[in-house]
Amino acid sequence: MDAGRASRWRRIKRRFWREREYWLISIPLVIWVLIFAYYPLYGLSISFLHYTPGMSIVESPWVGIEYFRQFFFSPDFLVVLRNTLAISGLGILFGFPAPIILALLLNELKSLRFKKVTQTISYLPYFISWVVMASLIFSLLGNEGVVNDLLRRAGIIDRAIPFLGKGEYFWWLITFANIWKGVGWSSIIYLSAIAGIDQELYAAGAVDGLGRFGSVRHITLPGIAPTIVLLWILGIGGILNAGFEQQLLLGNPQTREYYEVIDTYAYKYGIQLGRYSYATAVGFLKSVIGLGLVFLTNRISKNLFEVSII
Amino acid sequence: MRDVPRYGKGGPLSSLFDWVNVLVMLVFISIMVFPFLNQLALSLNDGYDAMKGGIVLWPRKVSLSSYELLISHPKLLRGALISVLRVVVGTVTCVFMTGLLAYIITRPGFSGKRFLRVLFIVTMYFSGGLIPFYLLIVRIGLTNTFTVYWLPSILNAYYMLIMASYMQNLPDSLTESARMDGASEMRVYLQIIVPMSTPVLAAISIFAAVGHWNSWFDVLIYNPSGTWDTLQVYLRRLLLEIEALATVRDMQLMQSRLRNVSTVTYRAATAMAVTVPIVIVYPFLQRYFISGITLGAVKA
Repeated sequence: MDAGRASRWRRIKRRFWREREYWLISIPLVIWVLIFAYYPLYGLSISFLHYTPGMSIVESPWVGIEYFRQFFFSPDFLVVLRNTLAISGLGILFGFPAPIILALLLNELKSLRFKKVTQTISYLPYFISWVVMASLIFSLLGNEGVVNDLLRRAGIIDRAIPFLGKGEYFWWLITFANIWKGVGWSSIIYLSAIAGIDQELYAAGAVDGLGRFGSVRHITLPGIAPTIVLLWILGIGGILNAGFEQQLLLGNPQTREYYEVIDTYAYKYGIQLGRYSYATAVGFLKSVIGLGLVFLTNRISKNLFEVSII
Repeated sequence: MRDVPRYGKGGPLSSLFDWVNVLVMLVFISIMVFPFLNQLALSLNDGYDAMKGGIVLWPRKVSLSSYELLISHPKLLRGALISVLRVVVGTVTCVFMTGLLAYIITRPGFSGKRFLRVLFIVTMYFSGGLIPFYLLIVRIGLTNTFTVYWLPSILNAYYMLIMASYMQNLPDSLTESARMDGASEMRVYLQIIVPMSTPVLAAISIFAAVGHWNSWFDVLIYNPSGTWDTLQVYLRRLLLEIEALATVRDMQLMQSRLRNVSTVTYRAATAMAVTVPIVIVYPFLQRYFISGITLGAVKA
């Protein structure tokens, strides 16, 4: 018994020695991930504790689901949830098909050079930051901006339309800002998928009498369907992520009632107001629901389309 | 100018569609580009003239004073320096270290590679969120430092997967002969893997670099004191009219000849300064980020 265990231990030691370089390299990497990725996971526990900075986590008193309950029953809850779902919902409604349509249209362009130029230009908004984006939007849609100015000169309106100042406009503003910024970039993946379709299928389709639009309907779309479903799953799974930077930059006190989403709410209560446990509970709830949604949509799509990401 | 091969019949409807498509694309391009042209025009316009409104695509009264004011502002130069430093340090460290991680998880002779891989993949799905991470940064004393810009993001599971999938396909023969000659793993990584992986390293570098260049929120919460302000944060302050007014007034006091700058044109000039580097560079890197996305998609 002893001899067996001893020789197994010796074998393990020999293996470690043989692979020592790999293990040596791993050490800082593992330390890093433990500190920056796993310790915050442990930090999630403060959502169940009455945590004050200064005290350590183990010293803080247990309050159970108190903060979750506080959030759920707070007057803000419904408003924040509504905003989050509205912004995400509009984003999915308009923002999901947009890159697909763009990719299909780009694919139909006869001139390769024109297609490449258009593609290049379409990526431009993706590379700028939201700070620059906000600056562009202020210049265009602000009360003194280009749009209001032109409308006034044309006599269409007397006073400036408060695009940025009226809460009801905010959801549309952010939806179209997101689309403008991301449609070109998102179309890349669909164009890749389209390029990956077997060209033989098109030839065969032509023989069968498929016209131009027929081949799009019966060959292209089915060909990229897995990609579409995959991205759809990720999109639904991320429905509680309705943006964050955009709201902080484009929002203002007049539009707060419409722009406050779960993430900005957690930021406000956590970092600005210092209610760490409460804000962590909010974020935790959001992550859990989000993960649940991903698994749910994945399960549904696996049954319906046989496509899954897990 | 090669045309795309066409299958299927073309009829009058088809040709009409082609024309409409081109038109739609032209409108699309205009929509993409217009806000930038507008901002450019504003930045090149005389400040007080701009405030009368009506600047759409061309400056009415050309003036470089907004830019002059921009480059003479010490905070801006410092911000630019810090932004550049952040991009360089952040990108190099991230690509190097994540590449190293990706490399060792593809080595057949390493028994811990599965463990390491899973350890990192889990972090893609589970995260503590903003507050616990923020509290951690505060706790380990990384607030008001430059290090907070690159250390907490030096390893990235998503990039790791993309790079690993690429490195997996590199022929073993290269590394085998080097190992047999007694080279250490680090040497193999540096002298063989890295040069062979330039496409994927380029793609990841682009993602990382753009991320660092455009970051502003982390600067805001981790370095609120302003000593480590990046260009984006400087621009963000200008978005708040009051701050912009104060900045422009301050500068004008120092340089009395630059009187014809307004907050609108100054902000526009700053926005252009932050954007132009990227605009110039990105078209040449298309090949790389497109392949990066495709690789990532395959992984998913």
